[in-house]
Amino acid sequence: MSKKTETTPMYERFPIWRRIEHIIMVLSFTTLGLTGLPQRFPASTLGVAILQVLGGIENLRLVHHIAAIVMMFGTAWHILVMGYSVMVLRDRMSMLPSLQDAKDGIQALLYNIGFAKEYPKMGRYTFEEKMEYWAFAWGAIVMGATGFMMWNPITATKFLPGEFVPAAKAAHGGEAVLAVLAIIIWHMYGVHIKRFNKAMFTGMQTEEEMLHEHPLELEEIKSGKSHRRPDAKTLRKRQMVYFPIAAVLTIAMLGGIYGFINAEDTSITTITPLTETQIYAPQTPQP
Amino acid sequence: MSLRKNVPQTRLIPIFSMLLGLGILMYALASFVTPVRAAPVFQDDKPGNDFCLACHQEEGIDKTLGKESLPVTINPTEFKNSVHAEEGFKCVDCHTDISDYPHPDVKVKNVRDFTLTFTETCKECHEEQYINAHDSVHQKALDEGNKDAAVCMDCHNPHKQTRLTGQTSGELTPAARLHIPETCAKCHSVIYDAYKNSVHGNALLEEGNTDVPTCIDCHGVHNIQNPTSVTFRNSTPFLCAKCHTDASIMDKYGISTNVLDSYVADFHGTTVKLFEEQFPDQPTNKPVCTDCHGVHDISKVDNPDTGIALRENLLVKCQRCHPDATANFPDAWMSHYTPDPQNYTIVYAVNLFYKFFIPAVLGGMIFFVLTDIYRRIVNRIKGGRHA
Repeated sequence: MSKKTETTPMYERFPIWRRIEHIIMVLSFTTLGLTGLPQRFPASTLGVAILQVLGGIENLRLVHHIAAIVMMFGTAWHILVMGYSVMVLRDRMSMLPSLQDAKDGIQALLYNIGFAKEYPKMGRYTFEEKMEYWAFAWGAIVMGATGFMMWNPITATKFLPGEFVPAAKAAHGGEAVLAVLAIIIWHMYGVHIKRFNKAMFTGMQTEEEMLHEHPLELEEIKSGKSHRRPDAKTLRKRQMVYFPIAAVLTIAMLGGIYGFINAEDTSITTITPLTETQIYAPQTPQP
Repeated sequence: MSLRKNVPQTRLIPIFSMLLGLGILMYALASFVTPVRAAPVFQDDKPGNDFCLACHQEEGIDKTLGKESLPVTINPTEFKNSVHAEEGFKCVDCHTDISDYPHPDVKVKNVRDFTLTFTETCKECHEEQYINAHDSVHQKALDEGNKDAAVCMDCHNPHKQTRLTGQTSGELTPAARLHIPETCAKCHSVIYDAYKNSVHGNALLEEGNTDVPTCIDCHGVHNIQNPTSVTFRNSTPFLCAKCHTDASIMDKYGISTNVLDSYVADFHGTTVKLFEEQFPDQPTNKPVCTDCHGVHDISKVDNPDTGIALRENLLVKCQRCHPDATANFPDAWMSHYTPDPQNYTIVYAVNLFYKFFIPAVLGGMIFFVLTDIYRRIVNRIKGGRHA
């Protein structure tokens, strides 16, 4: 057995920067979920327990905001890496959804319930993975937009009706419940329970795993049709174009994050006394 | 200290037993006297009230205390109607140092100090109220040297005080409630003026409506606490909720009893509730009821000048904490509404969307996962392999 694994070729699935990206997302998502729970369900036993661990609602909100900032940086980093992949390496955009994914999904379901002979053969990203990726992307947009409105309600209501703020709160809570439960059901099952998939941590997959999960990609690699890295000269030329674009993009995104955090001073930090009432004011001289 | 050292050991035992015996005797005697309201029996040689009133009903008589003069006229009719006379108390039950004329000298040199010495006299019968008053903000002020701080007699003139509680119920009578604000107004006239024109004060004083809170319903009676403290502020929503979630009071006026729940469901209320539960003495910058509705000057929400159901009036309140808030901002607070198709439709729609979207997405996922598990089990039984 051990001899067999030694001879099995390994295939790189996730380079190091993608794995770092994943860790950033795991940490920030988990923190956001844990610190979001007491805000969505403040009366729950778990919510109260988390609140007590973090020393109250104000601390918890601070941690929630920090985790949100980390996720914003994670997202910015992802966009830069994607840009490099598309513009410099000219990788195939294998994460884009296609009609084939819908067909694969239906075939997988039919196979599971016994109406199809074979499980679909899929490429670099399976329909399950694409679904999760785009659900995360959608979630990030919804959470980012609604989070902004709650973080900066004064700025938001300069352009939007006031009602959008409580609506944002409702959507933020609903989307959060959906996201956390989707991760627990879909992600947990797909990559931890069905089979413990370590590729996101080691970066590598065995040939057998490739054969099971990404047979079309394996076929491409073996037939030599897979995408090859451009030669050094082309790479340099494209980098010269991309790096300035990336720099501008970076500045824009950092500015965006800065704006998100510092758009406004929402409220005063200490409550002012209601009115300076004259407390002792006798009506008539005391007898 | 030195005295104790000089007492030989052998003599301590009889002394202690004597003290112990005396203590038991006093305790036994005390248990006869304790029922607070029972008129203590005094010996017959003490002068009766008629004896005192013979002089003291005369108009315009004064007692000179230092440079001040203390009016000592007692109106016999008022005294007769007082609860103390009704219960059969004699003047000398309180004025224990006096038994005849001429009266003994008064040592204090001004009227206020003379009044202050009498609180201990009240304690003789009203110990519970005395103890409560000693925990109050008034006593604290007094201890800090503010002699204007109220003591028993400032609110309850013992020569005139009529019965305040129902003889059988022990509860404050509605008639007594009507006059509470006037009592507090003696020292807090500015606050009284604000209260008088408020929705609560107006109902009490103009309509004689005792459903509304008087001073003591929020501040307490004898153990009045500092209302500017953080703890008091954090507990405000629950204080107001005592009446405002009580349908038996609110239904008469068509006022919603959902005000606390809708407040707690909001960002501000959630925060304050968590502070109240976890850190009641820690300040929070989130508003409580009084920050928007006012304190003593609470008006109807539809009052054209001050009512916060009007957006421009509410904006002023918002701007106290959110100085940069603009015209749209007040709608970010749902005005105690629970979103429904008529009020806060967008929020209602978002909630409705997620009510169906979440189960639909998760249900689909769970269904797929279950079929996958089923296929794996079937394949394992058949000895086949998953693709």
